[in-house]
Amino acid sequence: MRVLVIEDEDTLRRQLNDHLKAQGFVVDSAADGEEGLYFGREFDYDAAIIDLGLPKVDGIEVIAKLRKESRAFPIIILTARGHWQDKVEGLEAGADDYVAKPFQMEELLARLNALIRRAAGYASPILMQGDLQLDTAKKEVRVKGKTVELTAYEYKVLEYLMLNPDRVVSKIELTDHLYDQDFDRDSNVIEVFVGRLRKKISPIDCIRTVRGQGYRFVAETPG
Amino acid sequence: MKHSIRNRLLGTTTCVLVVFLTLTGWVLDQSFRLSVTTSAEEQLRLVIYSVMGAVEDDEGVLNVAEGLSEPRLSQPDSGLYAQIADDLNGSLWVSLSTTSEVSFTTPPGEPGTFVFAETPGPLPRYVLSYTVIWEGVDVERITFSAATDQAPFAASIGEFRRSLGLGFALAMVVFVLAQILALRWGLIPLRVMASEVEALEAGEAESLQGGYPRELQGLADNLERFIDHEQRSRARYRNALDDLAHSLKTPLAVIRNTMDTRDPDRSLLTEQLARMEATVMNQLSKASARGPVVVGRPVAIVPQVERLIRALETAYVDKKIEVRLDVTASPAVRGDENDFLEIFGNLVENAFKYAHSQVEIVIAVEGEDAIVRVSDDGGGIPADMRADVLDRGKRLDEMRPGQGIGLAVVAELVDLYGGRLQIEDSQLGGALIEVRLRP
Repeated sequence: MRVLVIEDEDTLRRQLNDHLKAQGFVVDSAADGEEGLYFGREFDYDAAIIDLGLPKVDGIEVIAKLRKESRAFPIIILTARGHWQDKVEGLEAGADDYVAKPFQMEELLARLNALIRRAAGYASPILMQGDLQLDTAKKEVRVKGKTVELTAYEYKVLEYLMLNPDRVVSKIELTDHLYDQDFDRDSNVIEVFVGRLRKKISPIDCIRTVRGQGYRFVAETPG
Repeated sequence: MKHSIRNRLLGTTTCVLVVFLTLTGWVLDQSFRLSVTTSAEEQLRLVIYSVMGAVEDDEGVLNVAEGLSEPRLSQPDSGLYAQIADDLNGSLWVSLSTTSEVSFTTPPGEPGTFVFAETPGPLPRYVLSYTVIWEGVDVERITFSAATDQAPFAASIGEFRRSLGLGFALAMVVFVLAQILALRWGLIPLRVMASEVEALEAGEAESLQGGYPRELQGLADNLERFIDHEQRSRARYRNALDDLAHSLKTPLAVIRNTMDTRDPDRSLLTEQLARMEATVMNQLSKASARGPVVVGRPVAIVPQVERLIRALETAYVDKKIEVRLDVTASPAVRGDENDFLEIFGNLVENAFKYAHSQVEIVIAVEGEDAIVRVSDDGGGIPADMRADVLDRGKRLDEMRPGQGIGLAVVAELVDLYGGRLQIEDSQLGGALIEVRLRP
C-alpha cells in the first residue's frame, strides 16, 4: 500500500513515516502543500494523510484540487482538536475522515486501514473471499480456517490484490504500491512472490495471470 | 476639537445664520432705500404741484406768486429748490432757495410725464421734472422742476442700516448663546456616559447607570453588553490560567519523579500524559472561544447542524447511521459561528461515535430559547460522568480522556453563552443531551 503523507512539522512527519513503514506501507512524504500536491498529481496512492495547516498551499486547497482532478484515493485530514471549522471544511472539500491532534498512532493507523478497506468495498477489517480470509489488523491469512505463514512481501501482494479485486493489476503497479523506489524493479521477483503465494494458499485458486498484462484477483463475493 | 459634535453643530448653524441674516439685511435695506426714494419723489411732486398752482399767466409771461405754501422754497440754500424753464430760453423762474450750483438737469421727458433722477456731485440731489404744454406763451413747452438734497434721506437710510445691523448682531449673539446652551443641555447624556465609562475604566463602577435618551439607548445597550463580555472574558482568562497552572503542575511533577527512577513506569507516564492532554485541550478550546458577540447578526443554528451532519456522515459512512433531523423552528443565536460549530460539532460527533445505528436531532424554540436535543442509541452516559461534566469546579482536574472531554468543552461553551446543558437518557436507549441557548 502506498501512502502520501503531507505534514509540515518535521518530527511528526518523521514519526508518521516510521510508523507507516513499520506497518508495511510505502510512504511518500511532503513538507508543504505544493510538494504534496505534486506527489498527489503524479503518482497513484492507496491513501493520503494530509495536515490542514500547510505552508504554500493550504491542506483544504490540496484536497479540493486533487478531487477536482479525479484523484479518488481516500484522504484522512489531521486537524487540531477544537477546530470544527477545519474538520467540516476538510470533509466538504473531499476528505473521507479526520483525526484530531494530538492523536494516538494506533488510532490513525486503524482509520487509515478502514478507509483503504472501505474504498475497496470491504466492511470488516477481515477481508473474506470464500475460504480465504485476510485479517488486516493481525496481518494474518487463513485458508479454510487454518493460518498460513506468509512472508511480509507475500502478505502485501495478497492484500493489494484482494483490495483490488476483479481488476488487472500490472507488475509495475504492484511494485509501485508495495516497494520503495530503491527496490530493484525486476519483474521476476514479483513472479516468484506470486508463485510462492499461490502454492501457500492452494487449493484456493483466485490469482489469475493475465498474459502480458499482470494479475487478476477473482472475487467470489464481488466487492 | 476638530471632531467635537458641539463645534460641528455650532459651526453649521452659525454659517447658516450669517447667510440668512445677510440676505435678509440686503432685502430689507433695498426695500427701505426704495421707500425713501419714493417718498422723496412724492415730496418733489407736491412741490411741483404747488409751484404750478402758484403760477400767474400775465399775458404770455409766467410769474410765480409770492408766499408759496412750502416755506423752504423761500429760504436760501434750504435744501429744497424749484425752477420753471422753457426749451428755448432756459430758466424762467427759480425759487428763492436756489443757489447757482443747483442743477435741474434731467433726461428730457414727454409732456405730461414726470422724470425722476439723481444728480451726482459733492452734494447729490434728487430731481423731479414735469413738462407741460402751456398754451398762450411764446414757447409752449414749459418744464417745472424741483430738487432736494439727498443728505437728509441718506441720513435716514444710514440710521436704518445702523439699527438693522445692531439688531441683527444682537439676534446673532442671542441665537449663538441659545445654541450653545441647547447643545450643552442636549449633550449632557453623552457627557454623563463618558464619565460613567471613565468610572468603569477606573474600576469605580460595575455598570452604566442607564436612563439614557432614546438616541443613545442602543449605544448604551451595546456598551453594556461589551463591558459584560469583556469582564467575563477577563475572568475566563484568569480562571483558565489558574486552572492550567494548577492542573499541569501535578502531572508534570509525577512525570519528573517517574523519569528519575531506574525503570520508569510507562503506564503511569501514559496516564499522566493523557491527563495533561485533556487539560491543555480543554483550556485551549475555552480560551479560543469568543463567546457571545456584542454586535453582528445572529447565527442560524439549523444550517450549521445540517452542515455538521453531512460532514459526519462522510466520516462515519461505515457505521451506516440513520440520522433523523427534526426541525420545528429555525432559531438564531447572537454569537460566534465557530463557537456554535464547536458546541454542535462535539455533540453530533459524540452521537455518531457512540450510537449503534440511530441518531436523532431536534431543533426547536421554546419561549425565546433555542433548543437543540441530540440523542443516540448508544450506551448512554454514566451518572458519575454526568455530574463531572456539569460540575464546573470539578470538570477540569477530574475529567478522564475520551468521551468526557468533548462534552466538557460543550458544557464550558454553553456556560459562556449563559445557556444550559442537560444530560438525560434518550428514548432511543442512549444519551440525550439538550442545549438551551438564549437568542
